[in-house]
Amino acid sequence: MTELRREVDVAELPTVTFGPRSLMWWGTLGFMTIEGWTTAILVVSYFYLRQNFDAWPPLRTPNPSLLIPTINLLIMLVSLVPARLAADAGKRLDLAGVKRWLAVTSIVSIPIVALRWWELWALNTRWDSNAYGSAAWMIVGFHTSLLLLDVADTLGLTLFYNIREMPAKAFSDTADNSFYWYFTVGIWIPIYLIVYVGPRIV
Amino acid sequence: MTLPADVIEREALELDRVWSDRQGFWGWLTTTDHKSIGKRYVATAFLMFVAGGIEAALMRAQLARPGNTLIGPDRYNQLFTTHGTTMMFLFAVPIMTAMGLYFVPLMVGARTVAFPRLNAFGYWTYFVGVVFLYVSLFANTAPDVGWFAYPPLSGPEYSPGHRVDVWAQVVTFTEIAALVAAVNIIVTTFKMRAPGMSLNRIPLFVWAQLVVAFMIVFAMPAVATGSTLMLAADRAITMHWFNPAEGGDVLLWQHVFWFFGHPEVYIIFLPAMGFITPIIETFTGRPVFGYTALVLSNITTAFFAFGLWVHHMFATPIPEVGQSLFTAASMVIAIPTGVQIFCWIATLWGSKPRLTVPLLFVLGFLFTFVNGGITGVMLASVAFDKQAHDTFFVVAHLHYVLLGGGVMPLFGALYFWFPKVTGRRLNETLGKWHFWLFLIGVNLTFFPMHILGLNGMPRRVYTYLAETGWGTLNLVATIGAVTIATSVIIFLIDVVMSLRGGELAGDNPWNSSGLEWATASPPPSFTFLHTPFVTGRHPLWDVKDGLPVVTGLSTRERQVLVTTTVDALPDYRHSMPSASIWPVYLALCMGVVFIGSIFSPYFVLGGLGISLLGLLGWGWSGVGERQEERVALPDGAVKVL
Repeated sequence: MTELRREVDVAELPTVTFGPRSLMWWGTLGFMTIEGWTTAILVVSYFYLRQNFDAWPPLRTPNPSLLIPTINLLIMLVSLVPARLAADAGKRLDLAGVKRWLAVTSIVSIPIVALRWWELWALNTRWDSNAYGSAAWMIVGFHTSLLLLDVADTLGLTLFYNIREMPAKAFSDTADNSFYWYFTVGIWIPIYLIVYVGPRIV
Repeated sequence: MTLPADVIEREALELDRVWSDRQGFWGWLTTTDHKSIGKRYVATAFLMFVAGGIEAALMRAQLARPGNTLIGPDRYNQLFTTHGTTMMFLFAVPIMTAMGLYFVPLMVGARTVAFPRLNAFGYWTYFVGVVFLYVSLFANTAPDVGWFAYPPLSGPEYSPGHRVDVWAQVVTFTEIAALVAAVNIIVTTFKMRAPGMSLNRIPLFVWAQLVVAFMIVFAMPAVATGSTLMLAADRAITMHWFNPAEGGDVLLWQHVFWFFGHPEVYIIFLPAMGFITPIIETFTGRPVFGYTALVLSNITTAFFAFGLWVHHMFATPIPEVGQSLFTAASMVIAIPTGVQIFCWIATLWGSKPRLTVPLLFVLGFLFTFVNGGITGVMLASVAFDKQAHDTFFVVAHLHYVLLGGGVMPLFGALYFWFPKVTGRRLNETLGKWHFWLFLIGVNLTFFPMHILGLNGMPRRVYTYLAETGWGTLNLVATIGAVTIATSVIIFLIDVVMSLRGGELAGDNPWNSSGLEWATASPPPSFTFLHTPFVTGRHPLWDVKDGLPVVTGLSTRERQVLVTTTVDALPDYRHSMPSASIWPVYLALCMGVVFIGSIFSPYFVLGGLGISLLGLLGWGWSGVGERQEERVALPDGAVKVL
């Protein structure tokens, strides 16, 4: 083996970081890119199929209802506040704040998931009615899988914080969990506009 | 300051205790060591190469003479579909990413990948796909609609039963595995490079893996959408993506499939380009000519690769402007590839290369791949493509590209890095037999197919009439296939013999320059005793007075050094999780979800339900013990907790 020569010592470097310095943030960004791109492909396909129809929604298919989706969108936007406060508390290493705002985010996320069921039916078509129905259902359905994943992550983190002592890196995880939540809500805005509002405009 | 020997010895013992897996089956099952996962990934993918090869040999046996009755049409359809699916989805892409998952950390001087448990999850998900396809083949339910499964043939109306469902879900498993591998490779390359390895010092192997990982991130979601969210949904829950009667569109499938499918060729080919540079550098003993040009060629190729997909659809009603655009793009992509080849020729030019087996395979690549590239430029022309579409000419072209551009460099890489992975060298004499028989076999098999295609022989036919006059060339191709099979058997014998009693390799048997050669062969559980400190593009050639290293990482836990993205300055110390059963568990849950979805949507719900337990377990076991931490706050302050 070649002789080893010490060039630099890193024993004093930190062990926990936040945001783009941390590995987990990059991993989260990677999956956000993949999921965002998948959504984009579904949306492009939705418009590709649009070319096959004279009317959109097709004849005898009513426009999607707006009431439930709009209420849910507002709740999602409101949920950004506790998510942000949880992230900020994490970045201050404020244990009580993290517990509080994670719990509030969890509570707010439950009606979002529940309303999603009616939101699917608010499309006013079925997935097996025609290609329009398939595309609309799949776009909303795929987003639902992202929603469920993040809600599960938030609930899990909240649970862990309340039943065991968490290491300092969980503060960083809390910030990343909020980061993913911003994405989940953020990507829903164009979906809402395209799938629920769009057919009324075009 | 030189490190004392007793300190080195003590640290090695402590690190081994922390990084080693448990002995026995449980340790094997739960390992998150990227080297163990990488080895089994490469081995499984190579097994798939052998399986796909056996299917090819059976097809060649059937086509050896006109009117042959060895294999009937139904079995033949399953064979060519399973062959294509295996080679593309279970061999080529996985083995290329697997090489990255093993070697990228070694080449950037890291102890593991960024997300070791995700890495294990990716492998096991892929493994579920492998088992699923081959169980279905033996159960006579293997897919039979070609490896790109065009609807309406693959739709519920024309393909009842579950054969196409098998295809759609096998593809799903590969997509997931490739995507998690890509994220791992990107983050490992961006954040875990040894100090001093700024972007302009990243080895070209790693550059290629990085570029390919980005390609996977943008290509795989397209086929995931097509196969899982569209085709499988059309078949299982009566969606209508591809059903024209309800406003669906079969051409949509071709778009989403080839938006993935064409980049996939480069996803296979670019990692192979990454193998070639270190092999040429090592055996010419000089740095590669045109490092920057090679990096830019990689990036440009990746960029153009996403602008070619419609050239697979020239036989469909595409607007003329679109055809011209995609013809131009298909020709333009030859330029960055040409730049790479000229850089390698320039490196070889005037050198006194050591003609070892890895270099022979690189030379074989140059010859074979350039042939495949030229027929690719021919096929980029719409007028020619319409004549050659769906004929054996296309089969000849794609095999020249994939065997020449992918498999030959891969064999070179296997000979080159086998000593690092196993500690023993492969036999040079057997290697030369392997190389020559493979080179001759590939050309003997696939060159006649150009002529067969031009003479009008369509692909995917299980037999033909004697009056066509195609018999002789088909027989030649079959003799070529036997030659290829012989060469691969020689390789397998060489591997088995060398594992048992091959010549011991030592740390750096080829006098190569990369960081992977700075550690023992095979590397210890902790890979590097100390993170290396890099001062140039060729760390081991640049060393004059002892390898500079970084000290200060903990020897009491699995700690790695994270560095800054551009300059690779030391940034923080990150603790890695240890072995875990949850990756295997979650991969099996994915099996329940996707395989079950073929039969009932309730399996999806049930599978997701049991996945929740896995996610909780994964999260819980990853929390780790509370200990003193130094936290770098976003405002720059460091707080000790």
